[in-house]
Amino acid sequence: MSESINPRVSLFVTCLADLMRPSVAFASIRLLEQAGCIVDVPLQQTCCGQPGYNSGEYEATIPIARQTIELFEHAEYVVAPSGSCAGMICHHYPKLLDGEWRERALALAEKTFELTSFLVDVVKLESAPAVSTDLPPITYHDSCAGLREMGVKDQPRQLLKTLCDVEINEMQQSDVCCGFGGTFCAKMPDISEKMVDDKLRNAGNSGATLLTGGDLGCLLNIAGRARRQGLELEVRHVAEILSGDLYSPAIGEGD
Amino acid sequence: MNDDSRSRIMSKVRGSCAGNEAAVIDQAREALGSAPSAALPHTDTCIAFMTNVLRNQGTLDVAPDRSAAVKMIAQYVYQHYRSHRLVAGNDPRLAAMPWRDGGVLPRFGELEAGEQIALSYAQWGVAETGATVFLSGKHNPSRNNFLPEHHVVLVDADSLLPDLETLWQRVNASMAQGDRPRGINCVAGPSSTGDIEGQIVYGAHGPRAWHVVLLGEVSAEQSDTARALHAGE
Amino acid sequence: MEQHSQHFKENAARALADASAVAQRDILALFTPLMREAAVSEFGDFAALRDHVKKMRQHTLDNLDYYLARFELEATNNGNRIHYAETAEDMNSIVLDICQQHGARKVAKGKSMVTEETGLNDFLQRGGMEVLETDLGEYIVQQAGETPSHIVGPALHKTQQQIREQFLENHDLGERDLESIGDLVGEARTVLRDHFLEADVGIIGSNALIAENGYSMLVTNEGNGDLCANLPSVLIICTTLDRVLPRAEDATAIQRLLVRSATGQPQTCYTSFYSGPRRAQDADGPLETHIVLLDGQRTDILASDYSEMLRCIRCGSCLNHCPIFAATGGHSYGWVYPGPMGSVLTPLLTSLEASEALPNACTSCGRCEEVCPSAIPLPDMLRDLRHEQSVQKITPASWRNGLRLHAWIATRPRLYQALTGIGISLMHRLGGKKGGFSKLPLASGWTSKRDFPAPQGETFMRQYRRRSQSNER
Repeated sequence: MSESINPRVSLFVTCLADLMRPSVAFASIRLLEQAGCIVDVPLQQTCCGQPGYNSGEYEATIPIARQTIELFEHAEYVVAPSGSCAGMICHHYPKLLDGEWRERALALAEKTFELTSFLVDVVKLESAPAVSTDLPPITYHDSCAGLREMGVKDQPRQLLKTLCDVEINEMQQSDVCCGFGGTFCAKMPDISEKMVDDKLRNAGNSGATLLTGGDLGCLLNIAGRARRQGLELEVRHVAEILSGDLYSPAIGEGD
Repeated sequence: MNDDSRSRIMSKVRGSCAGNEAAVIDQAREALGSAPSAALPHTDTCIAFMTNVLRNQGTLDVAPDRSAAVKMIAQYVYQHYRSHRLVAGNDPRLAAMPWRDGGVLPRFGELEAGEQIALSYAQWGVAETGATVFLSGKHNPSRNNFLPEHHVVLVDADSLLPDLETLWQRVNASMAQGDRPRGINCVAGPSSTGDIEGQIVYGAHGPRAWHVVLLGEVSAEQSDTARALHAGE
Repeated sequence: MEQHSQHFKENAARALADASAVAQRDILALFTPLMREAAVSEFGDFAALRDHVKKMRQHTLDNLDYYLARFELEATNNGNRIHYAETAEDMNSIVLDICQQHGARKVAKGKSMVTEETGLNDFLQRGGMEVLETDLGEYIVQQAGETPSHIVGPALHKTQQQIREQFLENHDLGERDLESIGDLVGEARTVLRDHFLEADVGIIGSNALIAENGYSMLVTNEGNGDLCANLPSVLIICTTLDRVLPRAEDATAIQRLLVRSATGQPQTCYTSFYSGPRRAQDADGPLETHIVLLDGQRTDILASDYSEMLRCIRCGSCLNHCPIFAATGGHSYGWVYPGPMGSVLTPLLTSLEASEALPNACTSCGRCEEVCPSAIPLPDMLRDLRHEQSVQKITPASWRNGLRLHAWIATRPRLYQALTGIGISLMHRLGGKKGGFSKLPLASGWTSKRDFPAPQGETFMRQYRRRSQSNER
């Protein structure tokens, strides 16, 4: 860090990390602190509103968007361990809102980042305390919103390289959707199944036994399908790997 | 024309438009500028054209003069059909070729069903697309570009244009002087299809082969560079 | 065309059950994006081209009255007869009338999705015409009594073997092998050659109508469209009024985008511009040319929030990049236009009810918008259509209520955290040991295909509050 003042980051936990995998949020805090940030977690946060928004329930989503804006707009930076939640705040709140609220949404969008892109592009985290580098062969799934809305592509790979000394076993079509799509996977299970099976096949063909990514929605979908199929594929969020948290059960693994 | 349909449609269209003055619209359009053209394989227009002809699965001969061109065409025709027959449009430039030098006797006019080879004189060649351009008219029946098995094309080296914008400048200039040609055909390769399992096959409905004879001062170095650029793919 | 979009899910399930067809679609889904990518990267500044065309197309639509009137004037001066068709039925009748006026019997047709939309072939055949599609893919599909599965490659769902059997059965040409794809193409060439030469009327579509000079642009690889445009004595161009562009150079810009986006070629074999009928001095060409401009809801779309959809140039790139299209194939969508562009157009051109599933056949992955040459915000439009479905109560009430309840609770943080705190701890106690659930109430859509991973333990918020409190003490 060149500046002497430490950046202050408000963590947008995301509902999936809050409910399903708190270790992702704790790992995010550790990484941000390693990068010299002062992290706070606004306690009134819930969900960014994607489930309703993506299903076209705009009117119901507007109060959620306003609540999130009010809670986070005074932060210096807002960071979320999810490309799709960050994308919701950055790209969709301004579409959803009008007038003064839209201006406030745009202002919040300016300072909101996905975790790995914040660590690489903004605070330039280049070293970390020694963590276990004894990682199995690992592959990376590019979550759609992170990739296409937030420009997350090289950042997680670069962090895995510099912090963990790991090269990714790139899978074919790593940038193709895993079939999650929020409510899509429940509305159209047959098509979603085909898509997640393609993802698992490509992951398997890469030689990796650990799949990681930056969005819990995708990872829950992939891990859930891998378990159903009885596949030996470990699934973890990239923040967990980067912060050296490899000992708790992987997603969908028993205690 | 059903005037009622027309007026109803036009009125709906007008309802969605701003109704600006022509001058305002023209100005807004001009402000948008022009589109970028494709990167050329070489800065030399002639080399770029030849490279793209080859990339378009065309075959290419370079003839320094008309006598050489006739001999090359004769050789091409003989090689494929063991004959000296071909059909050429009523283009005075084609009529004036020294056909005897190559022992070729063209029939001038429109290609009839069953005739295999047509020769056309292209108005221009475009480096950006590697296309040869034909304006239909008295001298240039369009069917000769599409019906033969083999399409042999003569194009002058000094009629090569860098890109499609330049092509339209020339077309517009020629239109300003006279009638608009019925058809402007840009031909960039033998006819092809990928409709069965995505596999490319040549000779769909149009010509199976497209042979370009570039007529004029083209150095061996230029040809070699084009062939090397093509082979380097 | 008859619509089956309401059965999208059943159609998709059937499509997914055919393993060899799935494998064939997988191959196309893998290589078509690679072809496009190669062509785009060789172009140079493709982003600038895309941006320019997007703006030019939008400018044209914003002033469509001006450009349409100009096109009409120029095309009429070129000797064309212009016809306006408000509906599909109007277009069909206009075309049949022209054919009948000329005592036509044989029609040679180039590829045109607009005429698929209007069901022109059936209409002309009922009117006594012999109509033959001449684009190879369209010919195969027509002969098989099917519909196109892809707007650029209509027969890409069929295998070489299926086409071979179809040709052996339908073409009375005696003993032959037809072992290669080249043989099949050659046979279609032979069969269709006579038809081109005998046809009384040629019908083609148009990739662009140029306002400044009244020309119509035709972009093809096979040369069939040009044979249709040049050989028969009557030519009918069937298209829609949103194809108009200001200048020839704008059509050229579209050409650059279209071909790279569609097939990954730098250009097609043939790009032609036709102005009208044969001139007095001309050696050949049709004696009479007609341009039929269909509205078919385009003016409604122009007036709606979906007007950007009219920038679509029908390249098929969004189909090639859509993982749902790859999974289900084009026929599952149940109408003319499949994939992302189809899921937007079908509800707009037919009805939101009949197309209920289509806007939902999307994960908002954004790949379509990323490659769309006209930068149409397809995922946003599909979401907006889902919004309209909800407003019009086409969405099932259980979905609407469930999502609204979720939103209601999410705006009450204390209630939200209390409920999730209890629920998540319970779920962890029930499923934590095993790691997941194979069945869960209210989540059957999820658990029908995958386990539901168990929550790790307590919610983050509970753990974090406890830690903060103990730190403060």
